[in-house]
Amino acid sequence: MAKRLTLYITIFLLIGIGLAPVISIFIKSLFVDGEFSLQNYGTLFQSDREWRLLFNSLTLAGATTLITLLLGVPLGMLFTKTDLPLKRLFAILFVIPLIIPSYILAIAWFYCLGRSGIVAIIFNVDFGIITSNLLFGFAGTLFVMVSALLPIVIILTMTYLRMVNPNLEEAARLHCSWTMVLRKITIPLIYPGIALAALIVFILTLGEFGVPSSLRFDVYSVESFTRFSAFYDFNTATTAAMPLGIITFIVLIVERLFLRKKTFIFRAAGSEKTMVMAPLGRTKPFFMAAVSILVFILVIVPLGVLLYKSVSFSAYAEAFIRSIGSIMRSLVYASVGATCLVVFGFFLGYLLERRALKFSFAADSIAIFLFALPGTVIGIGLISLWNTPGTNFIYASMGIIIFGYIAQYTALGERVLAATFSHLPHSMEEAGQIAGADWFRRLFKILIPLAKRGMAAAWLICFIFCLRDIGITMMVYPPAHDTLPVRIFTLMANSPDDLISALCVIMIIITLLPLFGLWLANKCAKKASTLG
Amino acid sequence: MIIKIDNVYKSYNKNLVIKGISIDIEKGERIVILGPSGCGKTTLLRMIAGFIHPDKGKLIIDGRIVADNGKCIIEPENRHVGMVFQDLALWPHMSSYKNLEFGLKAKNIPKMERRKRIDEIFEKVQMDRFKNVHPGELSGGQQQRIALARALVMRPTILLMDEPLSSLDTDLSLILRKEILKLQEEFAITLIYVTHDREEAFSLATRIVVMDSGMIQKTGTVKEISEYIYNASHK
Ligand SMILES: Nc1ncnc2c1ncn2[C@@H]1O[C@H](COP(=O)(O)OP(=O)(O)O)[C@@H](O)[C@H]1O
Ligand SMILES: [Mg+2]
Repeated sequence: MAKRLTLYITIFLLIGIGLAPVISIFIKSLFVDGEFSLQNYGTLFQSDREWRLLFNSLTLAGATTLITLLLGVPLGMLFTKTDLPLKRLFAILFVIPLIIPSYILAIAWFYCLGRSGIVAIIFNVDFGIITSNLLFGFAGTLFVMVSALLPIVIILTMTYLRMVNPNLEEAARLHCSWTMVLRKITIPLIYPGIALAALIVFILTLGEFGVPSSLRFDVYSVESFTRFSAFYDFNTATTAAMPLGIITFIVLIVERLFLRKKTFIFRAAGSEKTMVMAPLGRTKPFFMAAVSILVFILVIVPLGVLLYKSVSFSAYAEAFIRSIGSIMRSLVYASVGATCLVVFGFFLGYLLERRALKFSFAADSIAIFLFALPGTVIGIGLISLWNTPGTNFIYASMGIIIFGYIAQYTALGERVLAATFSHLPHSMEEAGQIAGADWFRRLFKILIPLAKRGMAAAWLICFIFCLRDIGITMMVYPPAHDTLPVRIFTLMANSPDDLISALCVIMIIITLLPLFGLWLANKCAKKASTLG
Repeated sequence: MIIKIDNVYKSYNKNLVIKGISIDIEKGERIVILGPSGCGKTTLLRMIAGFIHPDKGKLIIDGRIVADNGKCIIEPENRHVGMVFQDLALWPHMSSYKNLEFGLKAKNIPKMERRKRIDEIFEKVQMDRFKNVHPGELSGGQQQRIALARALVMRPTILLMDEPLSSLDTDLSLILRKEILKLQEEFAITLIYVTHDREEAFSLATRIVVMDSGMIQKTGTVKEISEYIYNASHK
């Protein structure tokens, strides 16, 4: 009874915080002056401009998906299945761009390729104009999006490869070479993972706000923000948000219908048995060179440029003086957000994994839908719902930002914790139940202690996503509540390069800090366990 | 002699699991390697198949040195060895027919010939009705038959079987043992069969190799080994 109540409350809160704003703007958009009317939608897609924006959004998302797959799947295979030297280091380097806000990459490339960027200084001004023209527009946006989202494809490819039963590959190895085994057996087996990666990249690109708006490539997700902030035109902002919402919705329905069924049941390989390796042999130097070049271009150059540009004490001093408030707020909001998300994720993950209520599937679908929805759309929804005199305590405080985080990122915590629960045998909880422990006792004495590591991982992931968020925060932050990414974004246009670079470096450091802490803690734990 | 395993050693990260094993196997023999779980039986089979290589010692198959002191000389796909895996390892994304066809295609056997050979084997294992069914939809015994058929369709001279019946109930296991015997004779295959089940070993083997923690305890005929085990347990 108490258990059901807890779960119901969680679902209710998710609907109230996450889904209600989206539904509210949809309903509001159907009314003009208090009467039902499709007038708002009548103006939608009247101008060529809107069609062009939608076309830009879809081409950008499609191209990003295609290129990340073409690069990411082979990279994931190289890192898991072959004897490529330094593959762990490469894998870590490739993931960094995902962790930091993606528009920071755009800034770095601007300092490198812009009109007065490093390239223009080294070569000449005319060359700088060419590179700048390339950067500002489709090619540049595509390039930055690829480097930001490539890690998703790499990580998912690696995860699914690890789940493949190695005997399936060995059985084929009796008849043909490794290259053929990988092509005919391994890749088909991880199709569901590749499809999932494609879906995530597509949807995230569609909703991306930071990169296209800093590189001035006009896409749909920026449109509703511009209308909203420039003209404070609520109605058109709302209707502008709808097409993206609908596309997201369709893509997700397709996923639910087709991807679900296609997952093969993987046999967990015995933990003892290491994964079968395909030796690279004579091609090793070639792959080594290719991966090094890629990591250099996609990761080392942008990070290096920021470090180089910011390298002065005064820049950092200035950065701290002007933005210490934003830095602290960023840390506080992300911590509070991550903590809330772990609580939501814990119960929803439990619900999903244990199928504890009839509509576990529906709750999961809501969370996933909200995760996929562009942040700007959720932002408009939150404002529309909470901007009333009675709810000002939420609208005008950090509350609305936290609500935004919960709305957008619940799926992350949920999925991580569902995976954690899937490794906990039901019998552990049942044993507690037979021993007479009620739900809260079981929760605090059995479930939480057992899921501790998963909760820590979920917290960290949620923390990073809250910290790097810009789509929602940009829309909803009340005056004097800006976070560091927002601060950088607003300062960007008219501040010296070294200040912005220093802020970007600070941003990267506070993102990487908890990861470093985790790595250290893990190392100590390992040491303690080998000593003990 | 079709296989010579010559003083072979293998370790996984400094953990020595095969400690100097030598076996000579004649053509047409049915060798059963009998030993408790974890004693290194699978490791030995995977070495013969060529998925891993001995750190020390030599492996000769059909007169060719296939691995020598940590070097792999002949790759698995050129050893002409068939294998039935402990978990069968049927490819879930292919139909039964495609599972059988895979190896033949890799060896560039023409389509007509492929079809003929596959049909023949399907009949032999009484699975002709299940050609277009995916492995996930088959019962344990049926999957077993497909796995056997997949190995046999390549007409290997040597067949390795890694506890293939361990997941089946006793009745079915008895039936399948008989079928394995029949097929082994019909195709004149050299069989290396791994199990931890004594009774299974006695009913299948022409010769038994008793293994324990990476070493050979004793080699002998069914009669010799059953006496050896009897004496060992009644000391
Ligand atoms: N890939 C591997 N990495 C590390 N240790 C392994 C690996 N494969 C097997 N082992 C170890 O080698 C020993 C023998 O394993 P195995 O050959 O599978 O035994 P059996 O098949 O007789 O049960 C076991 O102790 C096992 O833990
Ligand atoms: Mg085994």
